[in-house]
Amino acid sequence: MAKKSYNYAQLEAVAQEMRANPDMVYYYEYQTPTATLPTGEVLDLAREFGDVRTSGRGWPIDEQWIVGAAIGAATAGSKAIARIPTMAAIFAIEYVQNQAGKIRSMTGGQASMPFVLWVDGAGRQRGSAGQHTDVGLEALYAQPPGTKVVVPSNAYDAKGLMITAIRDPDPVIYLDYGEVKSGDQPDVPDQAYEIPIGKAEIRQQGRDLTLVAWAPATVDAKRALPDLAKLGISVEFIDPRSLKPLDVETLVASVKKTRRLLVVEHGHYTAGFGSHVIAEVVQEVPGVRTRKIAFPDVPGPGSAVMMSWLRPDAPKIVDAAIQLMKA
Amino acid sequence: MTPMHTREGTIDRRTLLKVMGAVGATATVASACRSPFDESVSAQGLTGGKFDKGITLATAGPGGNKQWRPGDAVKFLPPEDIPVRGKAADLLASLPKEKLLHLYERMTASRKWETAMKDLFLAGKDGLYGAFHTYVGEEAIAVGVISTLNQDDYIASTHRGHGHLIAKGGDLNKMSAEIFFKESGYNKAYGGSMHITDMSKGIMGMNGIVGASFYMAAGAALHGMVRGTKQVSVAFFGDGAAASPYYFSGIRSCANQKIPTIFVNENNFQYMGVPMAFTVPTKYISEYTKGLDIPHFLVDGNDISAVHAAASEAVEWARAGKGPSMIEAMTYRWYDHSGFAGGRVGQDGAMGLPYRADEEVRQWMSRDPIVRYKRWLLGKSLVTEVDLAKIDKDTQAAVEASIDFARKSADPVPEAGVLNTYAEGAALATQFYNRKGLGSQPKST
Repeated sequence: MAKKSYNYAQLEAVAQEMRANPDMVYYYEYQTPTATLPTGEVLDLAREFGDVRTSGRGWPIDEQWIVGAAIGAATAGSKAIARIPTMAAIFAIEYVQNQAGKIRSMTGGQASMPFVLWVDGAGRQRGSAGQHTDVGLEALYAQPPGTKVVVPSNAYDAKGLMITAIRDPDPVIYLDYGEVKSGDQPDVPDQAYEIPIGKAEIRQQGRDLTLVAWAPATVDAKRALPDLAKLGISVEFIDPRSLKPLDVETLVASVKKTRRLLVVEHGHYTAGFGSHVIAEVVQEVPGVRTRKIAFPDVPGPGSAVMMSWLRPDAPKIVDAAIQLMKA
Repeated sequence: MTPMHTREGTIDRRTLLKVMGAVGATATVASACRSPFDESVSAQGLTGGKFDKGITLATAGPGGNKQWRPGDAVKFLPPEDIPVRGKAADLLASLPKEKLLHLYERMTASRKWETAMKDLFLAGKDGLYGAFHTYVGEEAIAVGVISTLNQDDYIASTHRGHGHLIAKGGDLNKMSAEIFFKESGYNKAYGGSMHITDMSKGIMGMNGIVGASFYMAAGAALHGMVRGTKQVSVAFFGDGAAASPYYFSGIRSCANQKIPTIFVNENNFQYMGVPMAFTVPTKYISEYTKGLDIPHFLVDGNDISAVHAAASEAVEWARAGKGPSMIEAMTYRWYDHSGFAGGRVGQDGAMGLPYRADEEVRQWMSRDPIVRYKRWLLGKSLVTEVDLAKIDKDTQAAVEASIDFARKSADPVPEAGVLNTYAEGAALATQFYNRKGLGSQPKST
């Protein structure tokens, strides 16, 4: 088992499922599917599967087409992935809202929808400004009926959730945020494996406070954990990994124990998915002390100075935890 | 108002031949006929024959005419005495008798089923509700196109798609039951008129979103491509959907990747109550994609021979791996956009609608595609009166039996409302204080 990059782990998942499913298709725009191991081994899906099952050297800049063609192929019976960049995810919502999430119901269960929308998420990074900084599409895609939403935060989850998403007969939105791809990554097994959709992972056990963060917010949460330990706050850190369905059971069990819930998200504050996490928990655990910190309701600015002040980063997480402990 | 028949002088024979050729039977014609719009287009041209008389019904297409008034669609009436002579008719006449009768049977079933539903809605006794978009008057297009497909080919339909379903072998019992929102319906009462689907027959479904058929058809064709099956896929759409960005996107990408699709535009001159003249800047919709190196066909949609001939070439083109083609079939809907305003029990056609003239409706009804087909079949002695009378009787009985079936079928249970959203499990019944016991979170894997 060679050390794999996050990108390699994901493409390995796709390649393994495409080998197992001769009808499966993988459509993308410019994201030519190649990755290399440190040992030099190259994975090239366009070469391996040809330009009928993949988009070859690339398809036109028309995300509606990429998504619609994949949804059409999935309706007809092919397992299908459509991969699009972050700014385009908003173009794709129409076909997900009106078709992918509804066709099974509208047809009375006749049609299946083995479709994965793979969104290359942006991040709260400096220098991009506005359109290339959005995080929080999970709230948008969790809202239409019939969808499932997963948010991997490391290479191991990325591969396992990709495999599960492909095998799932329902539409799965796979939000792939760039920030989680660098840094230390867990080992990734060579063989195909599944991570169940709807199962949270308790990353750290604790007694005093439940900290919930997913995707890029896990990066800040992990940075905050050592400081919180130093302060003597015993934190239970949960990464839901899938947001819809949400593992409410695990969250509720944790908060019943800690009585405090801190949710951190990089999405915009109003109607961000974190609000739903809190709503689900407080309905089951009355009297819980809770707070959500999120990116404010502003477009991400280009300036590094403004961006880092806006970001709900480790110091702000620590501060929020301290205040919740006092409350 | 311009008189119905306007003489416009001699028609350029070369132009007409091009248009005619588009509905001819040879494969070579398809590529030669990419753009029949260089000069004036004759309505006779649409029929695929009878061009020798040189009478022009309209030199310009209906698009872009800002002076359009209700009633102007009569200018585009096809000639009365068709189906026609010529290649298209010869091709149709070459089909075996049982196939010719089958086409008549499907058109008749579609007409009788929709007409019966219209009467039931208007009579009100069955308490029918929901949208209902009739296809009456346009049957030659569905049946003509689908007659050229194999059973395992795909179609993606529209909100006005009952005729497509019936042409592809839709089951009248299940269709009627769906209109009645019964459990035994095609979509188990989840869908209703606008969503009837039969995946087992390659029917990707009717769809409530205007412009949804393009990607559905293309995706199904891609599914065939990856399996190397040579299946082709038809996207039906109206003149309204031609304005959708999905149209340009779909047809361009199908051309780019040689995806075996046939884009069939059922141009009935109006989307809802808005005339095409105000929404289409070119004379015809098929001019939009002139720049693509694909065959375009402009046909009389009320002439099954013209539709069948064009579709035969389009299907051959697609199956040969050459990619998409575009058929624009001019036609007219007898009823209102949805529902039955202006309609009456036992009377054909909707009258008194504000956006069109009754005379226009009557004139187009006089070009009834079923009557024309019947006249031609009998005129050429391809079938007998007895054959057709039997079909009329049998389809009427099948329609009535389907209504009986629908009436006797059970309603769905209300709790089915949380089922069939996901492959497994039920959605949470969150409308209740106590959600437990009514469903569980959808489970994966």
